[in-house]
Amino acid sequence: MLRIIKETNINFIGQRRKAFLVSGLLILLGLFAFAMVMLNKANMGIDFAGGTMLQGNFENPINVADLRNAVTGGGFPEASIQKLERHNVPNSYMIRVKETMAGEEKAVNKLRDIISAAFPGNTFHEDSEHTIGPAVGESLKKSARWAILISVIGMIIYIGLRFDFRSGVAATVATFHDVLAVLGIFFLLNKEITLLIVTALLTLAGYSLTDTVVVYDRIRENLKKARKKAEFVGTVNRSINEVLSRTIMTSLSTLVVVLALYLFGGEVLHDFSLALLIGIVVGTYSSVFVASPIVVEWEAKSPKRFK
Amino acid sequence: MKGQTWRLIITGFLIILGFIGFWNTLRLWTMTAKDRTKMEERQPGSVLQLEQKAMRLGLDLKGGIHVVLRVKKEEIEKSARADAVDRAIQVIRNRIDFTGVTEPVIQKQGDDRIIVDLPGYTDAERAEDIIGQTAQLEFKLLESYDNAQMILAKIDSVVAEIRKEGESSDSLAGDTTASESESAEAPADDSAENDILSELLGEDTGEVVDETLFGSEENPFTQYMEQFLYNPKSGIKWPGYVVAAKDRKTLEKWLASPEVQSVIPEDVQFAWSTRSEVRSAQNIYILYILKRKVQFLGKYLERIKVGRGQFQEPTVDFRLTGKPMAAFARLTGANIDKPLAIVIDGKVESAPMINSKIRGPGTITMGSGATIEDAKDLEIVLKAGALPAPVEIIEKNVIGPTLGSDSIRKGLISAVVGLLLALTLIGVYYKLSGLIADIAVIFNIFFLLAVMAGLGATLTMPGIAGIILTIGISLDANILIFERIREELRTGKTVRASIDAGYNRALLTIVDSHVTTLITAGALFVFGSGPIKGFAVSLFWGVTISLYTAVVITKTVFDIRKGYKSLSI
Repeated sequence: MLRIIKETNINFIGQRRKAFLVSGLLILLGLFAFAMVMLNKANMGIDFAGGTMLQGNFENPINVADLRNAVTGGGFPEASIQKLERHNVPNSYMIRVKETMAGEEKAVNKLRDIISAAFPGNTFHEDSEHTIGPAVGESLKKSARWAILISVIGMIIYIGLRFDFRSGVAATVATFHDVLAVLGIFFLLNKEITLLIVTALLTLAGYSLTDTVVVYDRIRENLKKARKKAEFVGTVNRSINEVLSRTIMTSLSTLVVVLALYLFGGEVLHDFSLALLIGIVVGTYSSVFVASPIVVEWEAKSPKRFK
Repeated sequence: MKGQTWRLIITGFLIILGFIGFWNTLRLWTMTAKDRTKMEERQPGSVLQLEQKAMRLGLDLKGGIHVVLRVKKEEIEKSARADAVDRAIQVIRNRIDFTGVTEPVIQKQGDDRIIVDLPGYTDAERAEDIIGQTAQLEFKLLESYDNAQMILAKIDSVVAEIRKEGESSDSLAGDTTASESESAEAPADDSAENDILSELLGEDTGEVVDETLFGSEENPFTQYMEQFLYNPKSGIKWPGYVVAAKDRKTLEKWLASPEVQSVIPEDVQFAWSTRSEVRSAQNIYILYILKRKVQFLGKYLERIKVGRGQFQEPTVDFRLTGKPMAAFARLTGANIDKPLAIVIDGKVESAPMINSKIRGPGTITMGSGATIEDAKDLEIVLKAGALPAPVEIIEKNVIGPTLGSDSIRKGLISAVVGLLLALTLIGVYYKLSGLIADIAVIFNIFFLLAVMAGLGATLTMPGIAGIILTIGISLDANILIFERIREELRTGKTVRASIDAGYNRALLTIVDSHVTTLITAGALFVFGSGPIKGFAVSLFWGVTISLYTAVVITKTVFDIRKGYKSLSI
């Protein structure tokens, strides 16, 4: 039997104060980011905020700074410009602006004019163009809100069926913790919040909940065997240690596939897989250091057997 | 064991079903470019047929155009609003069918939106023209020259007044000095653009009148315009004016101002030519002053077809029959030697002189700026009919074909690398049991692709991400079982007892972990659109199938292994 993790007896619960501090900060950051998203002050992707994306490749190499200066100086001060790595297509760039119109003119046409004026004799071959009106962004936001709401309700119903009140609340907190942490980190990194990122966050919520469920199942099972109340903390700790190798193996196997996606999946899936990568790490941490300690704290304040 | 036999039979059946569902996709995906050409040679159209039977690729993988339209219901009468969107969809479908794009997706979204997906089509401008224009064809008469000049004089004085006010209040005038209008003598062959319904009309009639009509200071509006429409036969001028392309915006701005609007009579309409054309080495538009009243509607046109005019210029020919023919004959008969404007969506294609009464066949000329593609597009929109209400494009996404194949490549590489890494990890860590799990995962992916192909689901880039995530999820189920069995073995239980205990205890957790993911996938499926829906679909089926393999296939394998003395795990 090959085992990276021998039988462990780490006192995870003993670390809970430190963990609560770290997690508290992560949650605060996430809540702040969430408020900014709601107030439209976060870096919203063009699918939510509306805007124009133009992608293509230059015949000859260019200096990114020249392109950036031309576009920002040409009436799009908030433009985002990105060099793309593409197979057999050198000098690929993606330009995103928050506008759909530049005065009377379509923003995409103005961008074309700017590019051809800034790089005369160096043709820009377009690969993709995406214009999203603000009205579309609004309805997309609406459906994103619905998707989030329905997932949250679904998961809470599921938790309600599967757990008693206490562990249900704790599992919900742990799940929100993970999603908010990733959102907060994305906000700090000034990553664009797109529909795909929302999708990643919802997927994470499911993943994180599963991780918590596995630990709770074991705690429950072990508690049945444990007789005395005094054993509570010890039982929780033992349960976490018992499922530790599963937690790590699952995280590892998911991590490697997502890592492949992050490294080779290209522009579209880059931030999506980054969110999942961060989420898997945070989710693994929270199932050990957040979900169970909450139950322990609660039990300590008002003893009532975890079921 | 009876249960086991059943499980094997069902699984075998599903594998066969999977192969059937996946067969066409598998054939297409494993074909080389050479195979394709060979197949196409043997039977033309067969590759396309195979593509239609295989798994559909989303626009992000195949390339194409995605357009979301909003039907402007507020601009039409209340009674017509109810079915406006459905009728618009019908018209757009017809138009797209005429262009020959294969497998377009045209869907209603919400209350007033239409989604149009054109896979493999990347001429965005043309698509926009064909889908987006209302194509309301109207025939209108021009205002008399004298009336038009009176209106223009009023506009001049109104504009002069506004400008004076502007100068006194802000001391900065906009465009006060105008380039002196150059005298433009049109080359003779240019007048072909004026000629419409040419079969019957014969002679070219338009000519530029060489006179500088307007000074600049007292004529802030008309200084940009040059009279041009003229019937040499009758010697009468008509209100059609040449405007340099660069000056068009200035005039449009003035025309839109409420002060100018107030001096234009209700029954008079200013309209620009559809396309710009070159005249005296300058890009120009023509501004017409029309009578607002619609004389004849384009919906009566029959047998619409692209043709060629007397100078080989592109035209669109048509024919009239029955009552409309009589009405058109009356209209043209009563207005001989006058120009008739052909107006599409408020823009003038051309305004040829009527030379004689027109009965059956007619021709729409399109000005010298028109290309054969313009004529073809006009043919399409006229044939398919006008949209019941104007539409606006609120989203447009054009994905080039190279970008799509690039995405497929990236998806494939990341899937293969991810799969190899994960399978190696599990294989090394859990030995033989790990290898069995690896085989189960490969089965999972096969089933997933088969189900998606069989159900006609669309594969998108996020969909590929969903498939890759499925690898993680189905491995997790195996890891749970293995870890549990290991624990049981460690307590000194026999192989049989360990498998039983491990499997049964892990099962509930496996169901848990799958259900949570299914909830997310379900919500995303209902509320997601396009690529996100693709993610939801592959995740949903991936998880469902993973549950099946974990509960049935893996269980069968372990049941067989129960007889062993020791377990490689």
